[in-house]
Amino acid sequence: MSSINPALKGITVLIPGLLLSFTFDVFTPLVFLVFMITFTLLFSGIPIKKWLLFFSPFILLALGFAWMTMLYTSDAFAGGEHLFSVWRFEVTTGSVMVGISLALRSLCFVSLSLLFILTTDSTKFMLSLMQQLKLPPKITFGILAGYRFLPTFRYEYQVLRQAHRVRGIGRAKGIRERIYQFRRYAIPLMANAIRKAERTANAMESKGFTGSADRTHYHQMKISRKDWMFFGVINGALIITLLASYQLGYLNIFGHRFV
Amino acid sequence: MLLKEWKLKEIVLMSIFGVVFAFIYLGFYFFGQGLRNILTPFGLAPFGYEVIFGIWFIVSIIAAYVIRKKGAAFWSELIAGIVQVLIGSPAGPQLIISAAIQGLGAEAAFAATKWKNYSLTVLVAAGMSAAVFSYAWGWFQSGLAALTPGLIIATLLVRIVSGALLAGVLGKWISDQLAATGVLRGYALGKERQKKRVRKAS
Repeated sequence: MSSINPALKGITVLIPGLLLSFTFDVFTPLVFLVFMITFTLLFSGIPIKKWLLFFSPFILLALGFAWMTMLYTSDAFAGGEHLFSVWRFEVTTGSVMVGISLALRSLCFVSLSLLFILTTDSTKFMLSLMQQLKLPPKITFGILAGYRFLPTFRYEYQVLRQAHRVRGIGRAKGIRERIYQFRRYAIPLMANAIRKAERTANAMESKGFTGSADRTHYHQMKISRKDWMFFGVINGALIITLLASYQLGYLNIFGHRFV
Repeated sequence: MLLKEWKLKEIVLMSIFGVVFAFIYLGFYFFGQGLRNILTPFGLAPFGYEVIFGIWFIVSIIAAYVIRKKGAAFWSELIAGIVQVLIGSPAGPQLIISAAIQGLGAEAAFAATKWKNYSLTVLVAAGMSAAVFSYAWGWFQSGLAALTPGLIIATLLVRIVSGALLAGVLGKWISDQLAATGVLRGYALGKERQKKRVRKAS
C-alpha cells in the first residue's frame, strides 16, 4: 500500500469523496463504508489496532453530526412519520434517515483519508505532486524546506520561553495576559521563520536552483500497473455500489429518488 | 496564477507561511471540536466551527498583504492545505480541494482591485469572499442541503463575520506587527513602510 504512487493514491481517494457528496440515502454510504473497512483491514498493511485508534473518535463525531442533522433537517428531506420532539425540534423518519446518511458519509471520508495518510510518506507525496501533477518545483522545494523547519520551531519556542523566564516574565494569568503572551511568542517565532526563508532562498539560488520544471530528479516517481489497479478497485467498488443502490431503488441524489 | 514574476525568496516565504499556519489550522481544528462539544447541549453545535472559521483564511490575507503578487492568496492557502495533509490531518486529501477553493475566494477579492489595493477594506472583503466560497463548497461536501434554510443563512452570516475579523483584521494586524520587527524589509509590505518613513523624515 505504501508503495503506491502518492499522487495517484490521493486522486483515487478523492473521487469517491466527491461522488458520495451527491448521495443522501443510507444504503450507498453504508455499503461503501463496509467495503472500505474490509479493504483497509485486508490489504492496506495498517495494523488493526492503530487504525481503530484513529478511526474510533470519528464514530463519536459522526453520531454528533447525525444528531444535529436530525434536529435541523430542511422540509425537503424531513418527510415521513413524526417520531418524537426535542424541545422545539421535531424529528421525523425522513430526518433520521438523512442524519444517518450524512454520518455514514463522513465516516466514508474518514476511512478514505486514513487509507491515504497512514500509508503515505510526506516527502514522496511532495515529489510525486511535482513529477506527476506538475506542481512547480519552486513551490515543492519551498514546502519541503519549510516542512523541514517544523522541528526547529519547537526548539526556538523553548529558547524564547527560557529567555522570558530569565528576564522575570512569569506564566500568564487571565485572558488579557494570555493574548499578550501569544503576541510575545508568535511574532518573534514568525520573524525568525521569515529570516530563515530568506536565507534558504539565497542558499538555493546560490547552489544553482532555477525553479525550472525542465530538470532531472534524484528520486524518480513513476506510475505502474499496480497503481492503476488500486485506482480501479476503489473506484470500481464505488461504481458497483452506486449501481446496486440505483437498481434497488435506494439511491437518493440531493433529495431526488429514482424509483 | 503564474509564478514567473515571483522571486524565489517570495515563494519560500509563502511556503513557510503555509507550513506555520498549517500547524495553527490543525490546532484550531481540535479547538473547534471542543467548542462544538460545549455548544451541543444548547442546540447550537452547528455554530461551533463557524465562529472561528475565519482563522482558516488568514494565511491568504497575510501572504497577499506581505508579498502583493498575483496568486499569493491562492497559493499560500493551497500550500497550507497540502502541508496539513503532510502532517496527517484526519481530513485527508479532500482538504487540498477545500484549501484551493478558500484561496480562490480570497484571491477573487484581490483580483477585483487588479492586485493594486491592499487596504484594510480589501483585506476584510477578501476574508468575507473566502467565507462565501468555502461555504458553497461545504454546502456540497457536508450535505448542508439537508438542513433548514434558517440555519444555513445564520451559519453563513456567522462565517462571513468570522472571515472579516479573524482573517481580514487579525491577518493585517499580525503582518503589521511582523513588518515592525524589520524582517520584511525585502518584501513589498516592508518596502512600503520604509518609503513612508523616508517621506516622513524628509
